[in-house]
This record gives sequence, structure tokens and C-alpha cells, in this order.
Amino acid sequence: MRTAASIKRIAQKPLQVRAYERIEPFLFLLPALVIFGCFLYYPFFRTIYLSTYLTNKLGQAKVFVGLKNYADILGSQSFWNSLLVTFEFVFIVALGGLIMGLTTSLLTANKFPGVTVASATYAMPIAIASAAASMSFRMILHPTNGLLNILMGTRIGWTGDPAYALWSVAMMTVWLASGINFIFISAGLRNIPAELYESASIDGAGYWKRLFYITLPALSPTLFFQILINIINAFQSFSQIKLLTQGGPGEATNVIVYAIYRDAFFNFRFGTAASRSIILFLIMLVITLVQFSNEKRSVHY
Amino acid sequence: MTTQALLRKGLTSTQKRRYLKNFGNLLLCLPLMLVILVPLLYTLSISVMPADEIYKNHLIPTSINFSNYVKAFTNPNYSFMRFILNSFIVSTCVMLGQMATCSMAAFAFSFLEFKGKKVLFLCILATMMVPGEATIIANYLTVSRWGWLDSYQALIVPYLTSAMGIFLLRQNYLTFARELHEAARLDGCSNWRFLRSIVIPLSRPALGALGAYVFLSTWNQYMWPLLVTNSSEYRTVQVGISMLYDIDAEALGLMMAGVIVVIVPSLSIFIFMQKQLINGLMAGAVKG
Repeated sequence: MRTAASIKRIAQKPLQVRAYERIEPFLFLLPALVIFGCFLYYPFFRTIYLSTYLTNKLGQAKVFVGLKNYADILGSQSFWNSLLVTFEFVFIVALGGLIMGLTTSLLTANKFPGVTVASATYAMPIAIASAAASMSFRMILHPTNGLLNILMGTRIGWTGDPAYALWSVAMMTVWLASGINFIFISAGLRNIPAELYESASIDGAGYWKRLFYITLPALSPTLFFQILINIINAFQSFSQIKLLTQGGPGEATNVIVYAIYRDAFFNFRFGTAASRSIILFLIMLVITLVQFSNEKRSVHY
Repeated sequence: MTTQALLRKGLTSTQKRRYLKNFGNLLLCLPLMLVILVPLLYTLSISVMPADEIYKNHLIPTSINFSNYVKAFTNPNYSFMRFILNSFIVSTCVMLGQMATCSMAAFAFSFLEFKGKKVLFLCILATMMVPGEATIIANYLTVSRWGWLDSYQALIVPYLTSAMGIFLLRQNYLTFARELHEAARLDGCSNWRFLRSIVIPLSRPALGALGAYVFLSTWNQYMWPLLVTNSSEYRTVQVGISMLYDIDAEALGLMMAGVIVVIVPSLSIFIFMQKQLINGLMAGAVKG
């Protein structure tokens, strides 16, 4: 409601003050917008632009080639391998993280002495840097003196053998991702209305029955959301690949993000690296859109 | 007498059952707790183990020695102290910067009315959909064109704001009564002063969550610092520990000592600010 007083107040204000009031909101937004402009919007469009050019070693666009970079990438064996490796990696991490998070959340769902310690332990990996964890696992996976080989009495080159490299890096990422999975899934678990269980326990349903007929269906939106978060995060994994396998052996762990890095900073082919980035962006866009459409019609029991 | 005895017996048996159940619960938790903890404890163990025992495949050192830590900090070719200092400077600046820019932007989006508010807000939310890796090459080229390679600016400036921070604080500000703002305006309080002396003190928990999360994620950054720093003068800790391998691939104990030193600040934030960290994390999950 515009009262007479407020209209009078506005009318009384000198022109300059009113002009200032109109631009003031933008002053509050200015720092954020400048940063976004320079380091998000501009580079995003710049990446699209670069992806249609051949570049020199300094990354300057030299020859316009249209979609040739994309055609080259899509026509190369290496790209399809990289895509396959990425999907395998993402699949293991998304599912492994989810199972780990679900198990730990269910284990700490009841109150018992020590539950806070257990919960804190399960959440702990969220604080640990992927680079630091990678260095740790470099030791754990060491072919002769590492913990895993000592415990199993084997001498397997976990990161050097094409048969194990992808699994090793993926399992290490599951360890790293288990914390965030635990936090989200246990939050989802706490949000399940208690009434659902009350009627079930009157009916005499046991633990497993309650788990499969109440907990998991009620938790399904959370689990779906979490699996998408896992997918998005796994697509962006870089440190563990760089520090444990360098994309190798051969190209066994050459995930898309690592292929971008290799293209740009080893081969100085910024144009094709940019095209790869755009392909990565499009894949992630599809995943995000799936997430949004799911959020709209997420099932609730 | 008999009823009392029965009652006592009954109580103790339910108590016993509860103890058993609690104990069983804890026992079930233990294997996965070990899965999380053993890699960290093993790293700690290797870092204090005499070198010959590492190669004899010991899991626990027979005697504890800190020579790896001394080496990490005193190696003339390797300025670990400097890396730690760099990471502290960068993480602190990014944290303070984001607190400032995000609270200003969130204030505009929640208390002020202006043209294009909705569109701008959507534009900012849309940035969450662009993975950092998709823009990292263009950003690298920008920063190198500006001559910023090997500098604090390169590490700090690109991260001085975040859509997640703006979103987190805006959600918080929207819970404040708008009458508060109107009343303050009528009393002649400027928007800047209102933000500084009313909104920010009231939103301390949300700011704490943002701060803890941002500090930790900056401290843990790896790819960007790897790309934009070449000299040890500006290297950050995460890049620093990965370089320990290049110095001496055989010095496994030294590498693990580096990891422990780098993990301690992260774990301290986790232990002392767990709640804030988790709140920040939940707001930032979409970005990942």
C-alpha cells in the first residue's frame, strides 16, 4: 500500500537521490557480477568460440574451422574410449558411493552409545582433499610395499595394470565420496515421518520388511537426487587420475576431464580441448535437466 | 518380595537386552568405520615409520620418528612452510571475499526491488550448471594473458564469488522480517549500514556455514592451482604434496608426512565446525 506519506516522501527526495536509489541495487550486485562476467560467462562463450578454431601454442584462435574440431574428436577412437572409461568410472563411483552412504546411514539410524563417533567417522571424507587422499592411496596401492598388497599377500600393480587401474581409482573415489553420500542420505532418512513406522510395527513387520516396504520407497527421491550428485561429481574427478594413473596405463583411465587437461597442457591443442569441454558441458547439462524434471514430479509416499 | 525380585530380574534382563543391542549396533558399525579410518591411520603410521621398516612391509612402526616431518619442513629445494602460508592466504582471502560479495548480492536479491531482478537471479543460478572444467581452459588463457600466472591474484580473484554462496545467504535473508528493513529505512538508515549492522550480525550462522565450506574447498583445491602456478613461491599445499613425489619417488615416508600436515587443518575444520560445514555442503551440493 502506498500511503500518502510515502508518496510525499518520494516526491520530496531530490532527483539525484532518486537516481542513486535506482542504481543502488546494482552496486550491491556489481562485485559478484564482475567476477561472474570475467570468470564464468566470458570464458564459457570463449570456450565455445575457441572450439571452432585452430589455436596456436599460446591459445590464440588462428584459423576458423567450424565444427571440424568436433568432427575430429567424434571420429577418433581415443574419444570413444575416453567416453567409455568415463561412463564406467562414473557408474562405479555413483553406485558405490550410494551403497556406501546408504549402508552407513542405516547403521547410524538408531541412537546408541558411540553413534556420534560413528557418524562423524562416516562423514569425515568430506573434509579430505582429493589430492591428499590420492597421495595416501598411492601408498596404499603401492605394488610392493602398499597396505592392500600386504593385507592380501599379493604383488599387484593396482594403478599400473590395465585390468585394475580404473577400478582402483574408482574405489578410491568411492571412499572419498562416501562422506557426502552419508550426510545426504542420513538427512533423508531423518525426514521420513515416524508414523509410517508406527503402523508397521503394530502390524508386526520386521526390520527387513520395514526396510524394503517403508524406508527405501520413502527414501527413493533422496537416493535419486544423490545418484545424480554422484554422477556430476564423478564426471569432474581430476586429482586422483592425475596423481594415481596419469590417464594410463595406455588410455585405461583417460577420463574426459583428464583428456581435456592432456590436450590443452601437454599437446597445447586448446581448440580441441575447448571442444571436449563443450561436449562435457552438454553431457552434464542433460544430467542436470534430468534432475530438474525429476524434482518436479518426484514421487512421495 | 517375590514381585520385587521379579521386577528387578525383569529390569535387568531388558537392560541386558538393550546393552546387547547397543553393543551389536556398534559392532556392526565398526567394519565400515575401519574402511574410512584405516587409510588415514596407515598414512600416519607410514609417516612416522623408519624407512627400512616401510620396505620390510611393517604396518605399525616399532619406534616412532619424526624425521620425515623435519625433512619436509627443512628441505632447501622444497618450501613446505611457504606452501602452507600460500594456502592460508589464498583460502582466507577467498573466504572473506565470498562472504562480502555474496552477502551484498544476496541482500540486493532479498531486500531491494529493481528491474530485471528475476532474470539476473536466474542468470546467477544458471552458473551452477556449468562445470568448472568446462571453463578452465578459457580461464587459464585469460589469466595468462593478463600476466597473472604465478601470482596470488590468479588463485584468489576467480573464486571471489559463488552462486551457491549467494543462494545460501539469500535463503537466509528471506526469513528476516521485511518490516525491519522498512523501519530502518524510515529512520534514515542507509542500505549499506543496514546490511552491515543488522543483516550480517543476524545471519552469522549462515555466514559461518559459507565461510567454513569455502575455506575448506579452497584449501582442498588442486586443478586450478596446478595450472596457474609454476614456481614454488605461489604453489599451494595440495600441489605441494603432489610435488613431494617428484623430488624423491622413493621417499614414501616423506610423502605421507606431507599428506598428514595438509590433512590436519582440513580435519580440524571438520571436527570443530562440523555443523557449519555440513550446512554449507548441503547448500553447495548442486555445484559439487
